[in-house]
Amino acid sequence: MLISRLLPALVGAGLVLGVLSLLIVAAGQPLGESFRIILQGATGYPRTEAFGPIDAWDVVLHDMTLLLLAGLSVAVALQAGLFNIGAAGQLLVGALAAAWTGTLTSIPSAVHLPFVLLIGAMAGALWAFLPAWLKVKRGAHEVISTIMCNYIALYLTHWLVTDRWKDPSSNAPQTMAILDTARLPMLREEFLQASWGLGIALGTTLVLWLVLYHSAWGYELRATGANRDAADAAGAPTARRMTEAMLLAGALAGLAGAIEVCGAQYRFFEGFPSDYGFDGIAVALLAGNHPILALLSAGVMSALRSGTFQLHALTGAPKEIAIVVQAALILYVAAIYLRKRRMEG
Amino acid sequence: MGELFDAQLFSTAVRQATPLILAALGGLMSERTGVINIGLEGKILMGAFAAALGTLLTGSPLVGLACAILVGLTLALLHAVATQELHTDHIVSGVAINLLALGLSTYLFRQVIVPREEAGQTSMVAMFGAVRLGGLENLPILNALLKDQSGLTVFALVLPFALWLMLRHTRWGLRGHAVGNDALKARTMGVPVKRVRYLGVLASGVFASIAGAFLVLASTGQFRENMSAGRGFIALAALIFGRWHPLGAAAAALGFGFFEALQMRLQGQPLFGVQLPTDLLLMLPYLLTIVAMMGLLGKMKPPSDLGN
Repeated sequence: MLISRLLPALVGAGLVLGVLSLLIVAAGQPLGESFRIILQGATGYPRTEAFGPIDAWDVVLHDMTLLLLAGLSVAVALQAGLFNIGAAGQLLVGALAAAWTGTLTSIPSAVHLPFVLLIGAMAGALWAFLPAWLKVKRGAHEVISTIMCNYIALYLTHWLVTDRWKDPSSNAPQTMAILDTARLPMLREEFLQASWGLGIALGTTLVLWLVLYHSAWGYELRATGANRDAADAAGAPTARRMTEAMLLAGALAGLAGAIEVCGAQYRFFEGFPSDYGFDGIAVALLAGNHPILALLSAGVMSALRSGTFQLHALTGAPKEIAIVVQAALILYVAAIYLRKRRMEG
Repeated sequence: MGELFDAQLFSTAVRQATPLILAALGGLMSERTGVINIGLEGKILMGAFAAALGTLLTGSPLVGLACAILVGLTLALLHAVATQELHTDHIVSGVAINLLALGLSTYLFRQVIVPREEAGQTSMVAMFGAVRLGGLENLPILNALLKDQSGLTVFALVLPFALWLMLRHTRWGLRGHAVGNDALKARTMGVPVKRVRYLGVLASGVFASIAGAFLVLASTGQFRENMSAGRGFIALAALIFGRWHPLGAAAAALGFGFFEALQMRLQGQPLFGVQLPTDLLLMLPYLLTIVAMMGLLGKMKPPSDLGN
């Protein structure tokens, strides 16, 4: 019994190692040495002169914060039966909103940081409103509308950062640096990018788990996702729950963007990293959309990213190895767990 | 202002629209049989890479095109098996295929093509030449639009009409329509649902990969990382804006291609005395699609059995 439940996970781990090995060998790298470097990039051990645990944890914990929030964004929408492909756009909008409010001197310094994070989350939620409305009122597929909103966000933020809100004192297309009062403290003094945003993400995870699994609201939301017609028949306000789930998803992605600004970048710039939004899809699917498990999958994914990036930095092996592994993992998880029930609908 | 809207602008528009038309029609073939296909982007990208590699190794763009189609078919087969045999969610499979294509094409590019460049060899490949128009050169508008275009563009302009006729008048077209709208009813009427869907998805792989091949073999002459640059998603927008109709989708793709051409031409110049941000022009296809989804431009009706 235990074996049969563990088997898919073991096969999945085997698949990851298999694909990883294949790509390393095909890139002409020695296997054992490469895995040692990946392990080092993921955990900091075995430590070397140039690279120790602190460096690795800085990267892994930073990535984990963003992947977790993006993963929760995708997961909460999927729990209500909606596929939020729009986390990337929501993240961008949240980040730009945070970068803008972070430069305002008119806000009392004591509430500046929470205010900025809140505005970031609200901007993300705002960006998710249109797809939610289109889905509920017009029956338009949320996948298409969120993809469209991603591109609109991309070009809108690009226009604002290169034109309207560009820092006039700089040649680079970027906003002014946010004030010290809007910055998140680092987890450790030596860190450069892993901030207390991780604490916020962990707290959010816990709260999300509580409301999804231990409240009537969460029960209705999940019932809507499991079978909307049945939930309707049972009297759940399904359209309302779907809208709320999508807004919450947008807020989580927007919060990720705001944390990236307040905890690592301190400004918005042309080409702001938004692909965490897409990686969130893998995090959520791998975790079966469960918030606590998302913590685990975000951890694994960020370790894999950091490890393969270290391999790229030291040996020049293509850094896209992580993307290929991730794609293989999504396909595997989808084929194993996410089969559509054939009699459904 | 007179010189802004010259023949050159429209000719560029047609060239920019070519991959969009091809990919949108690819999406149409799949979605009309009920299989959602957001993996167009990945198929374009892998198609572009395969076209570049095939041509680089053999010197023949025709071989490159064949390689692209082969790779497109492979990715499409993956989508077909995942959705039809394993009953994987169509969106998840599409997302995975896009990721796989992005990762694999860049990985292989760095492994195979970049080392050649570093060794001083060119990564530029032989391209398709312009088609000869023959007697058509005397027709002023057609000549202006099709002058110096490759055969792939001509193919993309003829294809919508061919598909339109096929979908309306052939057995396969009507079967596809039946499967896309009510698979269960189609099955009871004796239509081989699975086979129809396989063919639809495989056709989408062929057309999307030709779109990718066009980028290399008729547009830029070389592969670059992530060179599909979101075209698969604009194609998806064109498909929806054109309401899943071959002529509508092609017309929408042409319109979106025109915005791109206009954006390339303006580059900060004012249009009718107004300084338009180029980002706004690039945003227009997506904005218009959202407006269409709102139902402001008439009723939208996707194939009823889409995604099941």
